[in-house]
Amino acid sequence: MAYYVNRNIKMTWWERIYIPEIIKGMIITSRHFFVNLFGFIPFFLGTQKERKIMTVYYPEEQVQYPVAYRGRPVLAQNEDGHPACVACGLCEIACPAYCIHIEPGENSGKQNQYERWPDVFNIDYAICIFCGNCEEACPEEAIFMSDDCEISMLDRKKMLYTKEQLLTPVADLQKRIEFTRNMYAKWNY
Amino acid sequence: MWVDLAITLAKILFIIGVTVGFFAPILTWVERKQSAIMQDRIGANRADILGFTAIGLFHCIADALKMFTKEDFIPQGANKILHTISPIIAVVPAILTFAVVPFGGQYTIFDKEVNLVISDLDVGLLFVFAIASLATYGYVIAGWSSNNNWSLLGSMRTASQMISYEVTMGLTIVGVLMVYESMKLTTIGAIQEDFFKWGLFLQPLGFFMFLAASIAENKRIPFDNPEAESEIVAGYFTEYSGLKFGMFFMSEFIEMVTIGAIMTILFFGAWHIPFLTTATLLSWFDFLGTTGSNILVMLIHVGVFFSKVVFFIWLQMTIRWTLPRFRYDQIMKLGWKILLPLSLANILVTGIFILVLK
Repeated sequence: MAYYVNRNIKMTWWERIYIPEIIKGMIITSRHFFVNLFGFIPFFLGTQKERKIMTVYYPEEQVQYPVAYRGRPVLAQNEDGHPACVACGLCEIACPAYCIHIEPGENSGKQNQYERWPDVFNIDYAICIFCGNCEEACPEEAIFMSDDCEISMLDRKKMLYTKEQLLTPVADLQKRIEFTRNMYAKWNY
Repeated sequence: MWVDLAITLAKILFIIGVTVGFFAPILTWVERKQSAIMQDRIGANRADILGFTAIGLFHCIADALKMFTKEDFIPQGANKILHTISPIIAVVPAILTFAVVPFGGQYTIFDKEVNLVISDLDVGLLFVFAIASLATYGYVIAGWSSNNNWSLLGSMRTASQMISYEVTMGLTIVGVLMVYESMKLTTIGAIQEDFFKWGLFLQPLGFFMFLAASIAENKRIPFDNPEAESEIVAGYFTEYSGLKFGMFFMSEFIEMVTIGAIMTILFFGAWHIPFLTTATLLSWFDFLGTTGSNILVMLIHVGVFFSKVVFFIWLQMTIRWTLPRFRYDQIMKLGWKILLPLSLANILVTGIFILVLK
């Protein structure tokens, strides 16, 4: 025997004959169907900016990520092509997943030149957890989370990015730099 | 005699081409795409040939290729012969019912009467139901022979559901027979040339009951207890793979077309356009000569018939993606306690009306 649960649902006679309620439900679904079926026509004709269906055709279309989005961390590159990093190793220490590897290079005492820079700066994205701690720890505004999240690869070894791959011009990172200045208020340290 | 044979062969090829060649593959696409559009999604659009996706139409080809290349698996302990022939038993009746389904009227082409039905049986309607219920054997044998508890449960559910709803279906068409006084599907179609003699107006209750019963016969949601993914995996075809699975799949889609065609002929004016008789249409195209106008009217009628079928397929898809599934006891209750008495009452009321109006 079937077990009946008392759900305290009181249905009227009109609802219990079932057919009108079915038709009501089908009107709702077919309204969605026809609106979506013909709703794309004004978009393709160019008279309407947005499609009715909000789904993004992902690889062909991409959305602008919000500035707070934490994609892969990248190194900031100054206008003269030199990395902003001074190889202090704070990000290496802050990293909870130990994915950053730095070998510093040093100036041998020449005046008016960069004193320190990283000779080797590797980030292994296969290990990185995209927490953003490196960005927060950095005193020189040299490492930033970009909005790039498409770093899946077939070979795990290729996910180890070297300094040359990581360097990104500062101009590309301007929004994120301003965001981190507000967010972490680095000048207060 | 050779001309008759050629005409019949052409009709058979047309029907097989339309059902197996066009509707069965295209409906897999329609099901995906329509469900997606109804739910504010986009749907299948990834299969492409040289970067050209054709709004996901290549998914049919991808499906077919997948089914051809899959392993044809027979589980341990299964009855090999029955396991192999049951998909055939399921799919053949679905195609066979189209033998008596007319898809157009009678036309005079090159001084020859062409009747657009493969076999104009006097018991056409009975033939349809007799053959359609044969498919049940396929489903029951499929579940029974695969040595799987879920399959057996599914096939038992199929059997009980089929028996329950075939009663309603049979009694529903009795009302139609009383109104039209014929079992010939061509005659029933020809009578509906008058818009107010459509089965929808003469048998409104019969229309809804027939729709419900035929969806139950096709085992689609809301009556998909035999397949019930959330309870018994996939019901009777749990143990099937590759092309055999594809045949079950195809039989479901072809049955959808069959239901659409039968509904169109019985209730929806067959191949006729409302308020436009064949004679009027012929007189419009009189300047083309007898043969030309007949061919043109034939094409129009076949187009109208299949657009009505497409409408009914759309309706079935909408029902399938709108309603949740019935519980097993609810299906039985609906079948035996509601639809069966209603169909009997329908016969009674129809009889009284016919007697009074005479």
